[in-house]
Amino acid sequence: MADLRELVGVALASAGPGEQLEAFAEEGLHTEVSALRGEVEGMRFAESRGLGVRVIFEDRLGYAWAADPTEDEVRDVVRRARENAALAEPDEHQGLPEPGPIEPMPELFRPGSADITVDSKVRRALDLEAYTVSRDPRVTKVDLAQIGDSVGRQVVASTLGIDAEYTQTGAWVVVVTLAVDGDETQTGYSFRLARGLDELDQEPVADEAVDRAVRMLGATKPDTARLPVVLDPFAASSFLGVLAGALNAENVLKGRSLFADLVGQKVGADPFTLVDDGRRLDGPGACPFDGEGVASSRTELFTAGRLNGFLHNAYTARRAGNGQRSTGNAKRGGYRGAPGVGTSNFFLEAGPRSWSDLLEAADGGVLIQDVSGVHSGANPISGEFSVGATGLRITGGHLGEPLREMTIASTLPDMLTGITAVGSDFRFFSSVGTPSILIGEMTLAGV
Amino acid sequence: MLDPELVADVLRAARRHGGDFSEVFAEERSSTSIRLDDGTVEELTTGLDRGAGVRVTRGTSYGYAYSNRLDRDSLLEAAAAASAALAGDAPGAVVDLTTVQGAGTNTVQRAADEVPAATKVAWLREVDEVARGVSPEVAQVVGIYGDSLQHRLIATSDGRWVEEDRPRIRLVAQVVARRDDVIQTGWDGPAACAGVEFLDLHPPAVTAERAARRAVTMLDSIPAPAGEMAVVVADGCGGVLFHEAVGHPLEADAVDKEASVYRDLVGTRCASELVHGVDDATIPNGWGSYDFDDEGEPSRRTTLFTEGVLHGFLQDRLRAAKMGVLPTGNGRRESYAHPPIVRMTNTNILPGDADPEAIVRDTDRGVYVTGLGGGQVNPASGDFVFGVSEGFLIEHGEITTPVRGANLIGRAIEVMSSVDVVGSDFDTWEGVCGKDGQGAPVGSGSPTLRIARITVGGTGG
Repeated sequence: MADLRELVGVALASAGPGEQLEAFAEEGLHTEVSALRGEVEGMRFAESRGLGVRVIFEDRLGYAWAADPTEDEVRDVVRRARENAALAEPDEHQGLPEPGPIEPMPELFRPGSADITVDSKVRRALDLEAYTVSRDPRVTKVDLAQIGDSVGRQVVASTLGIDAEYTQTGAWVVVVTLAVDGDETQTGYSFRLARGLDELDQEPVADEAVDRAVRMLGATKPDTARLPVVLDPFAASSFLGVLAGALNAENVLKGRSLFADLVGQKVGADPFTLVDDGRRLDGPGACPFDGEGVASSRTELFTAGRLNGFLHNAYTARRAGNGQRSTGNAKRGGYRGAPGVGTSNFFLEAGPRSWSDLLEAADGGVLIQDVSGVHSGANPISGEFSVGATGLRITGGHLGEPLREMTIASTLPDMLTGITAVGSDFRFFSSVGTPSILIGEMTLAGV
Repeated sequence: MLDPELVADVLRAARRHGGDFSEVFAEERSSTSIRLDDGTVEELTTGLDRGAGVRVTRGTSYGYAYSNRLDRDSLLEAAAAASAALAGDAPGAVVDLTTVQGAGTNTVQRAADEVPAATKVAWLREVDEVARGVSPEVAQVVGIYGDSLQHRLIATSDGRWVEEDRPRIRLVAQVVARRDDVIQTGWDGPAACAGVEFLDLHPPAVTAERAARRAVTMLDSIPAPAGEMAVVVADGCGGVLFHEAVGHPLEADAVDKEASVYRDLVGTRCASELVHGVDDATIPNGWGSYDFDDEGEPSRRTTLFTEGVLHGFLQDRLRAAKMGVLPTGNGRRESYAHPPIVRMTNTNILPGDADPEAIVRDTDRGVYVTGLGGGQVNPASGDFVFGVSEGFLIEHGEITTPVRGANLIGRAIEVMSSVDVVGSDFDTWEGVCGKDGQGAPVGSGSPTLRIARITVGGTGG
């Protein structure tokens, strides 16, 4: 089996005169084990590799890919990418990035993670489930108790001289509980990510998933009202996902972002500072370089509510003009597609307010612990959204009765200007990170 | 794709620690996708995917391993990895592999891979032109074309050898309309397991015009009202609601985990007596149709509800064996990279006998929903939420002003029980359903129907 570098080399050697050619190759090993009723529910191993080629010829872009190609198949991928380019429109902004210095991030790879045996992973999954169902008499079963880890390597090289690679490890614990009381069932969800299984403490994940289910038992539908709202980090992270789309330069340049004309303006309240930082080591989205080999960096998108700019790859930077440079945010969904624009570690900066402080400030309001339908219910162009929500009433600075079948309807600008405080309880959810957010007033519809 | 003797060896290796059965799933998939944005072809991508997964099961436990490589060593390695999930029982046998012929659900008259890419590009240009012609308020048009051909082989240690080609085609139009500061979007995207002849029935121009009209119509929209009211769901849309709110809790894995609100309700009435529901993978060229599911079970038409009475659940092999019922052919997977799980195929509410126009006429006040933007359901509690992408007010039996930002929120059993009229029309909607990290193409269909009372979340008070 050829090394990824050899495959990439074969692709580069197949470049024709006047062609820019980029080859991206990746391989990975992935294991996950889930437990149910004291047994292994499922054990999955994945070993995958593939290569994708971007050809730009006379300002036209074509892409082709193949899973685990032979050297001959790599040449065929190049040929197909070339054919596809011939059918595309010329676009003067097309072009691969120039190479620049890349600071390696060896911390992303934990050598010891490969030493964890299958038996040990099985034991961790079984322990996780057993512990989860031992915490509360109303939680006797899980919907999911899973642990997993992975190792992945990426290589990207181009005829312009980009030549970069890195290897990273990852691990996760995820628990979904079922809490039952009479004929009512509630679910609770929690997960944590790290660079290796040995860095993950399983029990707090289980405890949180149990608590989030149990505290929802007996939930009722509230009356419609305008109230202070606290979005906990779970709920807040759902909204950040929508913001990420509106801060993507590709959407901005095509007029598909509500922020398009607002650079330099104050769009959010003072506590709102939003950052993308691929260099932040504690975030799962950390990477030394992006999907086209440009060094990752820190980009402050909002500073104290003021919009500074957008996330760019080489193409959108060139198209935006005005000396805009790639922010190192070329994002690929693996080798099966050309890079677009996306986030690395995308997070709302933590604030000084403690959890109890936030609850006190939101007295008489509602804590939202889960929102659903954000992707269908939020419009990243108009900024309007209406989402389903579950949560708990805040009474006397404490969490009170559970609430279900609510909707929150507002607009992103109203929500961002309505933020009165952010908490210190920051955490990452996949590559999105956020603390709890206090919003002065929002309409909660029940009934 | 693979030699039967090699496959038998892999099945045997996977059963080195016994288990109920082992299975090899191998596929080769070629695909084309083209995206036309603002009148220019932005990206034309062709892909060649290939891989095989090996599964071995005991009860509802399983081990699964896959590789992109189809050589003997790689497959035997995958078999060894999968079998590690089982503790050391005696090795299990492999029955002689016998080919099972399919019914030919998804016929192809003109294969997509024989059509030049330039022709496919021309379809997208037509989308762009037609959509822009609908109104000067059409600001942006994106056309997306995709086709794929998946060749699958499924072989099991109980002697099954199944091969099936699954052709897919889809053409999507996304339109943004703008009037001053108001921006609205419209979408349409018919899809099928068929060749390019599908586009004779669903021409690109029609798709483009629908998407553009939706976007332009919504420019006149006002914020949706909030509160409990009657909702008339247009033909096609009710299927999406049925899929999410009812179909997911009827998947046997949710039932087995006691995470389904319907788990103890077979044989009881838990929907209006007007509701007849099926899951049907045998519809010719349906987006969710096939001859065999991804475990090699023949496809079926499964009755879910008759007159509101629940008949049973959707099954895969593991859940059916545990519950002592027959599989229903609903074991599906996104690709070789995934083990099969219980999934819907084409999930439909069957037509009734009411005149669809009369349903609106007989509704004094409410919302008429003509587009659902997708939704989410908690199968354990039955709570669901749907975004309404296109809807209108009903005032005194008339469809009036379009509304935006609406959500439908409710619980499955209550909402399905409050269906009080079912129309005689029928339409379908094709989507990609996500579950456990796997996407599956699914169809859904329904007549026009009315929900007497449901919570509408909106900003209009």
